[in-house]
Amino acid sequence: MVAPAFDYVAAGGYDEAVRLLASGGDDAKILAGGQSLMPMLNLRLARPELLIDINPADKRPPSVAGGVLRLPALTRHRVLLEHDLVRKHCPLFADAVRHVGNVRVRNRGTIGGSLAHADPTSEIGSCALALGASVVARGPGGERVIPAEELFAGYWTTALDVAEVITDVLIPVARPRQGWSFHEMVRRTSDFAIVAVAAVVELDESATAVVSARVALAGVADRVTLADAGLIGAGLVGGVGDEDVDAAAGRIAGRLEPPDDVHASAAYRRRLVRVLTARALREAVARAAAAGAGA
Amino acid sequence: MTTADERVTGLADQRLAASRSGYRVVGSSPAHHDFVDKVKGSLHYAADWQLPGMLHGRVVRSPLPSARITGLDVAAARALPGVAAVLTAADVPHNQIVERASGGLAELEVTMPVLAADRVRYFGEPVAVVAAATQQLADEAAELVSVDYEELPGVFDVESARADGAPRVHEVGNTLVSWQIQCGDAAAAMAAADVVVEGEYRTQHVEHAYLEPEAGVGWLENGVLTLRVSTQVIEHAATIAQILRLPQSKVRVIAAYLGGGFGGKEDMTVEPFLALLVWRTRRPVRMIWDRQESLAASTKRHPFIIRYRTGASADGTITAQQVEILGDAGAYPNLSPRVLFAGAACACGPYQAPNASITSAAVFTNNTPASAFRGFGAMQVVYGYEGQMDRLAERLGLSRTQVRERNFLAKGDLLPTGERLDTCVEVGQTMHRALGMLGEPARPSGPGKLVGRGLGCNRHPYGRTIWFRDRASAWLSLQADGTLLIRSGVTDLGAGQAASLCQIAAEVLGARLDDISVYIGDTALNPPAGGTFATRQLYMSGNAVLHAARELRDKMAPVAADLLGVACDELEFADGVVRPTLAPGMGTAPGVSLTLAELAAACDQRSISTAHLSTWRAEAGAFDPRAGQGDTFPDYTYGTHAADVEVDTETGQVTVLRYAACHDVGRAINPMRVQGQIQGGAVQGLGYALTEDMALTGGHPQAALFADYLIPNAQDYPDVLVDIVESGEGKGPLGARGIGEPPIGNVAATIASAIADAIGVRPDRLPMTPERVLWLLDARERREAD
Amino acid sequence: MNKIQLALTVNGRDHEVWAQPSATLLDVLHDELGLADVRYGCGEGLCGTCTVLLDGEPVNGCLTLAVQAVGCQVTTMRGLLGPDDALHPLQECFLRRGASQCGFCTPGMVLTSLDLVRRHREQGRERPSREEIRYALVGNLCRCTGYTKILDAVEEYADQAARQ
Repeated sequence: MVAPAFDYVAAGGYDEAVRLLASGGDDAKILAGGQSLMPMLNLRLARPELLIDINPADKRPPSVAGGVLRLPALTRHRVLLEHDLVRKHCPLFADAVRHVGNVRVRNRGTIGGSLAHADPTSEIGSCALALGASVVARGPGGERVIPAEELFAGYWTTALDVAEVITDVLIPVARPRQGWSFHEMVRRTSDFAIVAVAAVVELDESATAVVSARVALAGVADRVTLADAGLIGAGLVGGVGDEDVDAAAGRIAGRLEPPDDVHASAAYRRRLVRVLTARALREAVARAAAAGAGA
Repeated sequence: MTTADERVTGLADQRLAASRSGYRVVGSSPAHHDFVDKVKGSLHYAADWQLPGMLHGRVVRSPLPSARITGLDVAAARALPGVAAVLTAADVPHNQIVERASGGLAELEVTMPVLAADRVRYFGEPVAVVAAATQQLADEAAELVSVDYEELPGVFDVESARADGAPRVHEVGNTLVSWQIQCGDAAAAMAAADVVVEGEYRTQHVEHAYLEPEAGVGWLENGVLTLRVSTQVIEHAATIAQILRLPQSKVRVIAAYLGGGFGGKEDMTVEPFLALLVWRTRRPVRMIWDRQESLAASTKRHPFIIRYRTGASADGTITAQQVEILGDAGAYPNLSPRVLFAGAACACGPYQAPNASITSAAVFTNNTPASAFRGFGAMQVVYGYEGQMDRLAERLGLSRTQVRERNFLAKGDLLPTGERLDTCVEVGQTMHRALGMLGEPARPSGPGKLVGRGLGCNRHPYGRTIWFRDRASAWLSLQADGTLLIRSGVTDLGAGQAASLCQIAAEVLGARLDDISVYIGDTALNPPAGGTFATRQLYMSGNAVLHAARELRDKMAPVAADLLGVACDELEFADGVVRPTLAPGMGTAPGVSLTLAELAAACDQRSISTAHLSTWRAEAGAFDPRAGQGDTFPDYTYGTHAADVEVDTETGQVTVLRYAACHDVGRAINPMRVQGQIQGGAVQGLGYALTEDMALTGGHPQAALFADYLIPNAQDYPDVLVDIVESGEGKGPLGARGIGEPPIGNVAATIASAIADAIGVRPDRLPMTPERVLWLLDARERREAD
Repeated sequence: MNKIQLALTVNGRDHEVWAQPSATLLDVLHDELGLADVRYGCGEGLCGTCTVLLDGEPVNGCLTLAVQAVGCQVTTMRGLLGPDDALHPLQECFLRRGASQCGFCTPGMVLTSLDLVRRHREQGRERPSREEIRYALVGNLCRCTGYTKILDAVEEYADQAARQ
């Protein structure tokens, strides 16, 4: 199939992009990496009248300042895998992005585009939640910062206004006693995840108790989901035993109403959440302990 | 620049090198002909053809699996500027495709329309077709075709379809055909058996998923409707002529080299639509199916429900087999009768079955039509009969290899159809070699993981059912300059169908591979060879070329003998020349030889033609469907696969650790290509076993995107270790047996066997997804707790 | 919609094409420029038959607009051939190893492998392992070969390239 015809304009900067989006309304779409948008056009499922190409708008590399890793929205997935700053300050991304797409998709796909696409099975989306990341959104009225927890609003829907563009993704850099883990279940390597779990935990000064844990899940709902911190429970925050981990994982799984589809039933997804969450928490805690020991 | 002969692969495998056994070209693995164009990127597939003024086509398809068409409005589509034609059922001169009956019991005659007239019977059934100046306009016009449907009750599984009062897919009934094969007294033998093992096995719809979607270009040339398409069968030209009510002399079909076929391009795909549009518009038309369109609506593999009862004596000898096969034909017949026949004929596998009762039925449903797919019925049943063998072994406390060895067929044995096997059966040897390749058993990689080893043997036919009276022709021409032309109607799916013919001709006539050109797949210019399917091309066209080359050589030999002063049987054709053979202990006079060019000139002077057309006919036979006895296939390829797997007991994920395959190929014409077929077939089988499922719910396909249909990728499975046996007794040229289809058959059974070894329960439903394995583990735990 | 003029550089040659702004690079290369080695396989970016190099990087031709390729170097597999259509050493390895059966996936496999081996060399790393090659080729689907001979061919080329 061939996409219905549309007009094309290259935006030299984000402000230009915002102006064009504002005047185009629902009939204009941002073209970043194109790896999610173009298939929808090729299948004639999306029919914009104007594509605003923001690839020329931003050539900045990743940077770190004030404890924050700043990833420009146009940072390619490949850069997340390979860039020294990402590997050092956000190893969760560097690990999880290995599972995203393939070489061609990672050469073009962008972090801003991924987050704006809001695929409920997104590895990048779940990592953003687990990391407590935020996006900087620019619109006609100016800029605002949207925490990841407030960004995802439903199937392929974000809290962005029609004329808003993500310009940056802000991630708190990894802290000394933090550990991370990413686990996913795919039917075939490199596929869209059936269930993915991203976990970031932080241990206390003695590195014997967990003081915070963020567990984000993909493939379990209409959006990537941050598990309620209360479910992770007092037992885990304060102890690191296996039973605590399994119990926490069980509570998280029990709260979910995952979808049924050709790849997995809801019951199986719930089961996977239990198994993968337990694995992710254990591994994150182990990494945190090792990081704390090394510090 | 290296020549084809110089590019003989430097394979380290000694067995493959040793298979040369006296041949110069056959038995080596030159890389030549179409393979050179493929690595250069210069091969033109069916979609790589453009003509001036070419239009673009698009089929309009039904969004419902069972409905009456109550209204059809093409006005808006026709009015779109740039649209050249919008055709519906009324525009098809003869809107019927009838598969010739196979002669099974109570076989229904059911026609399939090219474009649905008053009813649609499956999701995606073609209802209209459009041609426009661009693909974009054709897509837009297709959306403007307005069809009103009144949904009708449908039936979506074979058991419901067979029940009384089921909605009728076709008025004449839902059971398309039944087959039976009977020998001895299965009921009595079963009653008297020491043990009886029962099993029910269910397989799924799968899609061929060739990387090249269905495609082609059609045009008019000198009043002849010409189609250049990705097809396995150019003989459909006759059907196209019928559809358009044209004389056969006015239709020409050219088969481009295919980007994969696997049986999915064995029935017509784009041909009738191109033909209609070209004939109506008088302009060239191109049609390329979307991948998603192909997934949704192209023919699939028949899901089978197979019920086995196997009776044996206490020492493991099978005394009785009762098998019932139900195949989901989908909405139209296509090749279903033959697929279910092949399933029945092979239902007992490579094992003795002195008393057998096998029934096999093709049943209509409102699912996607099923037809040919590598393995063709004989493949699905392997999952069943190998499941029975493992179960029997477990029941009797025998090892899985013991129980098989006790029952393997041998040359001279009778099959349940009453036929006597007249070639050797080396399945036992393949079993030991396959297991041998696996080496030491694997150890679990961590807690919660279980490992297991499995095997699967098969007997797979090659060549068409012999009551078809198959034949293939080839036309060889030695040119004045000593180069050679081969013209054959064969089509090339990518397995070297064309290139193998060159190797055979080179072997016999001594022409260099670089001096041979092969022209294939053109109803106007090539003698017919029959389509490429049923693993028949090496057997049929290979033999046709072999015999044509020998007959041509025999025709020219007296001329060469005369000029060289020797007898006809003292000539050697090799390296582009003809020379006297070396007698033992003697040399040749230097310079005594004729180039092929000199020979051609000499023949011409003596009015001896250096062109030769030969038709090779396969053995004929007859099958009595009422008695369930008679001739089926010319011969079989036997093989065994073996695998080590690891099961993650928390997620059910199955990881294949090692995989080995061994087949008796008779003679490896091109060892590297034989290896490639085995590796490719095995990996395609792994997808079938573990991840592929074109599931339908209420007749609606669930996997809408290629992202949802999981074919194996480069990281999923280890390298398939390959070994071959060359028993030399195949009926193909020089003792070869077919190898295109057999390697896909063993896989699901092998993996099931390995999973059973790991977790103590055997999956009997495909695909063996992690979810299904997990539920089996849960069930086993519950049973053990009770 | 109106067509626009695009100046594309493909395999080292400059071309002027008229195409809609919405035209994909795949459609322009295949239909306008007649390059048969860039192929439609799925339209979803999964199968790899439309792989081209854009300024040396493998991208999905079906997910890139032709207009986005203006000012870039586009390379298809045919662009690797030498004078008189001499095969690139990687293509020779594919031929010798039987890594092409139907051949439809070959251009994507070749371009992606070439990129992998080049980048390892440029980064001063050892030649890619078989596992790394598998990972790099995960987005290039093949239905015919079972991948083994393709991996063999790429490994052979990688060894050759490392020796130079």
